[in-house]
Amino acid sequence: MPSFTPTRRTLLKTGTAAAALATLGPAFLRQAAAQDADLAPYKAAQIDWQQVSGETITVAVIPASYFENLITLAPQFKALTGIDVRFEKIPPAQIRQKSVIDLTSKTGTYATHAADPMYYALYAANKWVEPLDTYLADKSLTDPAWFKLDDIIPAWRSANGIDGKLYGMPYDGEVTIQVYRKDLYDAKGLKPADTLEAYMSNAAALNTPNDRVWGAALRGVAGAGQNMYIYPSIFREFGGDWMKGGKLTVNGPEAEAALAWYIDIMKKYAPTAAANWNWPDIADAFSQGTVASYIDAHSSASVINNPEKSKVIGKVGYARWPKGPSGKRTTSIWNWGFPINAALPEKKRKATWLFIQWAASAETQARTAHKFAGPTKRSGVNRTSVWKDPDYIKLMNGFGENFVEATMGALQEDTDVDWRPRVPQWPAIGDTMATAIQSALSGQATIKAALDDAQRRIEPMMRG
Amino acid sequence: MVTTAVTSAGIASEEPRSDFGRVLAQRERRFAAALLAPAFLALLATTTFPLLFLVYTSAFRMDLAMPFTNGFVGFENYQVLLSDERFWTSLLVSLVYTGSTVTLQVIIGLALALLVMDMKRGQGWFRVIAILPVVLSPAVVGMIWRTFMLAPEFGIVDFLAINAGLGSKNWLGDPTLAMVSVIAIHTWQWTPFAFMVLLASLASLPEDIYEAARLDRASAWQRFRRITLPLLRPAIVMVIIMRTMVALTAFAAIFTVTAGGPGTATEILNLYAYRKSFTELSIGYGSALAVALLIVTIIISGILFAMRRAK
Repeated sequence: MPSFTPTRRTLLKTGTAAAALATLGPAFLRQAAAQDADLAPYKAAQIDWQQVSGETITVAVIPASYFENLITLAPQFKALTGIDVRFEKIPPAQIRQKSVIDLTSKTGTYATHAADPMYYALYAANKWVEPLDTYLADKSLTDPAWFKLDDIIPAWRSANGIDGKLYGMPYDGEVTIQVYRKDLYDAKGLKPADTLEAYMSNAAALNTPNDRVWGAALRGVAGAGQNMYIYPSIFREFGGDWMKGGKLTVNGPEAEAALAWYIDIMKKYAPTAAANWNWPDIADAFSQGTVASYIDAHSSASVINNPEKSKVIGKVGYARWPKGPSGKRTTSIWNWGFPINAALPEKKRKATWLFIQWAASAETQARTAHKFAGPTKRSGVNRTSVWKDPDYIKLMNGFGENFVEATMGALQEDTDVDWRPRVPQWPAIGDTMATAIQSALSGQATIKAALDDAQRRIEPMMRG
Repeated sequence: MVTTAVTSAGIASEEPRSDFGRVLAQRERRFAAALLAPAFLALLATTTFPLLFLVYTSAFRMDLAMPFTNGFVGFENYQVLLSDERFWTSLLVSLVYTGSTVTLQVIIGLALALLVMDMKRGQGWFRVIAILPVVLSPAVVGMIWRTFMLAPEFGIVDFLAINAGLGSKNWLGDPTLAMVSVIAIHTWQWTPFAFMVLLASLASLPEDIYEAARLDRASAWQRFRRITLPLLRPAIVMVIIMRTMVALTAFAAIFTVTAGGPGTATEILNLYAYRKSFTELSIGYGSALAVALLIVTIIISGILFAMRRAK
C-alpha cells in the first residue's frame, strides 16, 4: 500500500467524507478516512464508480502471483464501487476449457476470465464476448483522460483485437526473449546471438553434457501454448506465412527449414528430457545451472531469480530474439486479458467493465507491481508509463543485465500480431501442429511427412 | 406418510381377511418403490441420460470454432471416423495398452500372491506396502513418474539405466519407450489390486485337495497347473474383466505423463476423444469417438463375461 501523502484533493475529499460520516461515530470515521486516501487516485476519474453498487461478479484467473496481488487489492475495489468480486483460481491448462464451456452454455458463471489472446477470434465469431469499444466510448462508464487506453502496451492490445475492435483488456503479459548465462558466455568470449545461426553456434560452443551443462533449451512438450509457443516465431523468421494466398498453410519449404532448425538445436544441444519440457521445467533446469541459454517468456525471469531455489542469481543476461534468415525478429507476444461475457445482464456487464477498468488502470498496475507490499513483483505490467517509472525499472533490472531494454525492445519492435494464425479454429490447428512438431522431433515421422500430414488435417477444419 | 399406512394395516390385521396378505404385499412393494425412486432417478439422470445425450450429440456437427456449420448430420461423424487414420491408430494403441497392462498385472499379481502365501512372517506388512500405489491418484502418479523417475539425465530410472550400462534413454520422448513407460506405470499402480484379489482367493482354497495331491506325489508345478489355476479361474477372469474395463478408459496418468505423445505414440482412444472434444472443440465428432470407445468396451467385456460362464 502506498504511503499517505496528502494532496489538496485528498485532503478535501477526506474532509468531505469526515463531515458526512461525523454522525456515525469515530470508528466509522477512521475507516472511511483511510479508505478515501487509498481511493483518491481512482476518484479522480470523472465517472460514478458506485453506479451498480451491490452487484456480485465472479472472475476466473490462474493461480499466479500477478493475479494474487490483484486479489489482495480487491477490498479496495469493493470500497470504491460497492461491487463484490469472487475470484476462482483455475490452472492455465484448464481455464480455456472451463471458460469455453461456460461461454457456450451461456450461463454467465464467469463475468470475466483471464483469456488467451488466441481465443478472441473464436469468442468474437460466436459473439460470446462483447467488443470493448462501446464501453470505452461510454462517458458514464469510462473517463478516457483518466484511463489512457493508449498507454497500454500496443502489441498486447492488437493481439486482443479482431478487425480493429478490442475484445479483451490486457492485464499482464509477456514477450519472448533470449536468456543466457552471462558468466559462461563471458568465459568463452561469446555474445548473445543476433541471428538464429549464431544462437546455434553459441549453443554448440557451450554444450558440455559431461559437465552437466547443455547449450540451449526450447519448449518441447506438445500443446498449443507449449511447443506451438516457440515454433511459430521460428516459422515466421524463416519467412513463413500462415495465410499464403488466403489459405491457411502450415507446410512448405519455409516450414520445413524452420522445423529442421528447431529439431536440430533440440537434438544436438538441449537436454534429452527437454523434448517433454514446458517453460517451468526449462526455467528450473536453467536456475540449477544445467542450461546455458534458452528462448522463452521474459516472465520466467522471476523463477530463475528465486533466491530459495536458483543457483545462477547475478549471472544472468538478457537479449532480444535472434533474427531469422528473413532478417526479421518475431517474438511471441502474449497476455492474459479480461473480456466481458456477453451472456450477462446489463448491470453485471457494467460491473464487470468497472472491474476491468480498475484492474487495467495505471494506479492498480503500479499497486500490484513495484508499489506492492508483498514479496512477489510483477514483470508483466500492461502500461508503458509504468515501464518508464524509475522505481519499476530498478526493480526489474534486479533480474539481471539488460532485462528492461531487451523486454521493451522486443515489445516495441519485434512483434508481429500474426505470428500465429488468428482464426476461430486456432485451438484445433494449434493442437494438430503441436502434435506434428513433436512427432517430427521424436522421429515418429520425417519433417516433411509430419508437416504435410498436419496440412491435410487442418484443411477440413478451415473449409467449414 | 407411507409408514403410517403400513402400521394401520398392521393393526387391522387383528381380524385376518383372505385378501389381506395380497394388499399388504402390494403396499410394501409400493413403499419399496417409493424408497427406491429417488436413487433410481438420480441414477437415470447421472448415467443413462448423459449416455443417451452422448449418442444424440454424435449425430450432429457441433464445432465450437465454426458455429455456423453446426447441424444434424446423421451418421456422417461415424463415416468420417471409419476413414480417420488417427482413430484406428488410437484404437490400436488402446488395445496394445490394455492387453499388455492386464496380462502383466495378472502374471505379476499372481506371482506375488503365491510368494506372499508362503511367507511365514510379515504378510500383513507386505499387504499394506503393496496397496499403496492403488490409493494414489493417477494424476499424482503421472507427475511423480514424469519428473522424478523417467526424466533423462535427471530421473531415478535413467540413473539406474546409466549405472546398469544401458546408457541414458529418452524414456518419454521416444515413441516405443514412451509406450513401454506408460504401460509400466499403469502396471506399477494397479498390480496390487490383482495381487490382493488373488491372494484372498488363494487363502480360501481348500487345503485337503493339496494334501491329497501330495499323497499322489504330484509335483509343485502339477499342483499349480491342475489345482491352483482351475480353482483360481473365476478370480482371475474377474480381475481381467475389471482391469480391462479400466485400462480401456484410462486417462489421467497418460494425460499427465505424455499427453498422448510424443506425436501420437501413446494416444489411446479415450485421450483422442478428449482432445477432439475439448482441445479442438469438435464436440460432435468427439462424441462419436466416445461412442466408438463405448462399443469397443462393451464388446470386449461381453466376450470376457461369456468366457467366464463357459465352464
